[in-house]
Amino acid sequence: MIQFMQQLINGLSIGSVYALMAVGYSLVYSIMSFSNFAHGGVIMLGAYFGFFALTLLKLPFILAFILACAGTTLLAILVERIAYKPLRERNAPFLYFIISAMGASILLENIVIATIGPTFRTYPAVIPRTPIQLGALAVGRLDLIMFFISAVCLTGLILFIEKTKMGKAIQAAAYNIKACALMGVNTDKIILIVFGLGGFLAGVAGVFFGMKYTVYPQIGNITTKSFIAAVFGGLGSLPGAVLGSVLLGTIETLVAGYLSSQFRDLIAFVILIGVLIFRPSGIMGKNTVDKA
Amino acid sequence: MDWFYIQGILMLAGINLIAVLGLSLLTGFTGLFSFGHAGFMAIGAYLGALMTVSPTTSPAGLGLPFAVGVIAGGAGAGIVSYFIGRITLNLKGDYFCIATLGFGEAIRLILNNVQLFGGSRGWPGVPYKSTLPAIIIVDILAVIFLANLVRSRHGRNMIAVREEELAAQIAGVNVFKYKMIALVVSAVYAGVAGVFFGHYMTFIQPKMFSMTKSTELTIIVIFGGLGSISGSVLGALLLTALPEILRAFEIWRLVFYGAAVILIMISRPKGLMGGMELTPAGIRKARNERKARVQALKESKNSQNGEVGVG
Amino acid sequence: MADILEIRRLTKRFGGLAAVNDVSFSIPEGGIFGLIGPNGAGKTTIFNLVTGVYSLTEGDVRFRGKSVIGLPPFKIADMGITRTFQNIRLFKNLTVFENVLTACHLGASYSILDSVLRLPKFRKEEKALVEKAERLLSIMGLTERRDLVANNLPYGMQRRLEIVRALALDPKLLLLDEPAAGMNPDETEQLMRLISRIRDEFRLSVLVIEHHMDLIMGICERIVVLNFGIKLAEGCPADISKDPKVIEAYLGATEEA
Repeated sequence: MIQFMQQLINGLSIGSVYALMAVGYSLVYSIMSFSNFAHGGVIMLGAYFGFFALTLLKLPFILAFILACAGTTLLAILVERIAYKPLRERNAPFLYFIISAMGASILLENIVIATIGPTFRTYPAVIPRTPIQLGALAVGRLDLIMFFISAVCLTGLILFIEKTKMGKAIQAAAYNIKACALMGVNTDKIILIVFGLGGFLAGVAGVFFGMKYTVYPQIGNITTKSFIAAVFGGLGSLPGAVLGSVLLGTIETLVAGYLSSQFRDLIAFVILIGVLIFRPSGIMGKNTVDKA
Repeated sequence: MDWFYIQGILMLAGINLIAVLGLSLLTGFTGLFSFGHAGFMAIGAYLGALMTVSPTTSPAGLGLPFAVGVIAGGAGAGIVSYFIGRITLNLKGDYFCIATLGFGEAIRLILNNVQLFGGSRGWPGVPYKSTLPAIIIVDILAVIFLANLVRSRHGRNMIAVREEELAAQIAGVNVFKYKMIALVVSAVYAGVAGVFFGHYMTFIQPKMFSMTKSTELTIIVIFGGLGSISGSVLGALLLTALPEILRAFEIWRLVFYGAAVILIMISRPKGLMGGMELTPAGIRKARNERKARVQALKESKNSQNGEVGVG
Repeated sequence: MADILEIRRLTKRFGGLAAVNDVSFSIPEGGIFGLIGPNGAGKTTIFNLVTGVYSLTEGDVRFRGKSVIGLPPFKIADMGITRTFQNIRLFKNLTVFENVLTACHLGASYSILDSVLRLPKFRKEEKALVEKAERLLSIMGLTERRDLVANNLPYGMQRRLEIVRALALDPKLLLLDEPAAGMNPDETEQLMRLISRIRDEFRLSVLVIEHHMDLIMGICERIVVLNFGIKLAEGCPADISKDPKVIEAYLGATEEA
């Protein structure tokens, strides 16, 4: 039982970081209806920003963290301006966006390989590795912090979307961006903010992944998990993305703990296939009908 | 640059071309995007190796002739794609993309865990059988097969699916069936390419067939131009050779590659050929289309004064 | 004369909302029927139900005595029902000729192997398809535009091409969804003549949705009026134009959707 609780806590903490990625990805999907495959590159650079802020600039953890998030926010916006905006202006079909995103992903990964190098780097031990005892449970400090900060970020995001005027505009754009443009809403600004938000959360996720594992140029591949989590929860739905991520993280950790760590990555794809067969719209997704 | 080196590039380009041609049918002509075709290449490579690798090495194969390997690899990939298609072909746009991505990765992860084929360490001792003439012959056959398929009612039905799925249905096209045919044919092509790839490298490893490889294939199709076989051929030659020629820049070449992809998308999204074919008939067709457009423009200018606006 | 299409107690609900509610009518063989009603009355939904694009909630649709319920759209097309779309859906990047040639495919039966090996069966049937497509283009006066990419056609011509593409399937029943939308009076007049001509030349029945009353009154033998998914009236044009319920729905509508 104790072991199960232990695994559950680990799973929740990983799942919450998946949620940070999946939400950013899902936000972009809900507005622009394409899979932003460059998201992984932004997360990877977030991990590097945080790493260098700590090691080269020797900043305190909080400042390094903020710097990394600011960096990824700008980066995500930059990617949008360069790789997607020209396509938007031309009303290009969604596949061009996907390919452009793939190009951006290759570009970011290989710029890092070419300039920083392909080696694995370990974050300095900012947070002590000794676990905290909660009764019989030994919980990693990092896991707790990850879970806590992710929860704060996600709550903040949901409040922003639900309560502010801008958030309402984003919701409207997710419903029908063309109609919004006709009504005089500045959709360009909405897209900018959506990418900025996604970029910010990518920075948080990047720093956490760097700390939890190591930093390397291919760490962005982990976003495949967030795509799966988003599909699991229902593409384009934010609560769905969070729920899908937390479930995926938990299931993965339990599988790794009780079956074999080799199946850890495979289980995500098994879930993906299962969802696609039985409920393609995901847990909370809406079914769309092509109107004739 | 010596002949041996050039030959190597040509062989790689020829092998890529087989897979690219298949993907061209799926993406360029039928309008379905896949990020998992490296998975079908992997199935081909591993089944091919299973047939041809000598029974005395470890991991052991069956020691059969290369031709058996090619057929088994192509057929295996085709059969697997059929079952994947049953699940995924009813999905729309991005869902299909992500599903293929998922299956591609799943195939790689499964191979990583199958110790019988060497797991993640890979499988050495694959015989060197992919000769340049053999690759060229397969390429030519692949082009002829594809060109003849595309210029038939079956090919036109696939193009109709790409252009306007609902209208295709109403025009009596069994959309699911034609998507399936395109998927299976493309997977067979990828499988055969995988067999040749394995028997060129003489060593195969699951990580050779990652998502990056799938993306590379799709990018070549787009670069060449959707719906153009000649574009795919040019694309495969150029995009395989270019990085090799840029070897001097080694670490920077993939940076250029990524930048080039974005640049193509934002500046010339129709790709190199933009649906045109570099054949006498293809050029004639393009010329007729242009002539018709010019004439229509003239007519509309002439009649503009007399008519009330339409639309 | 026998009925070619029988719609019985047709109902379609989206969630709790009934887009079409208990509608029944029949079209006799060779007839031209009009389907009219204010926006959101459920006209296009009926087309989607008859062609299998949507699955119905209740009722039955019979074509030449056989139910088409549950059949996929391509099978229904194969049986002889086809349609055009309100927002034109051509194969935009293909030429006029290719658009029609594609739709002629039901007239051939050669296999993939026949086409890949260019066997005699392929050559023979393909030649027949090309001839058929060219004949259709010439009947409908599109031969001159044969090589123009559909997207570059003037709007009225695009609507015409969509009808030609539908005719390529040799339908017995043709459903036209607002064929005159966006046309000027002159073009509408031409279209009216075209529809009557098609009916006679191709021996088919027509069901047309339209807002242009001139067109509807001019060519339809009978008219069905829908409002809020319910059948309001049915009759010949003269009766319909005098029906107080119809006039209210169109003119005095206090609750128009």
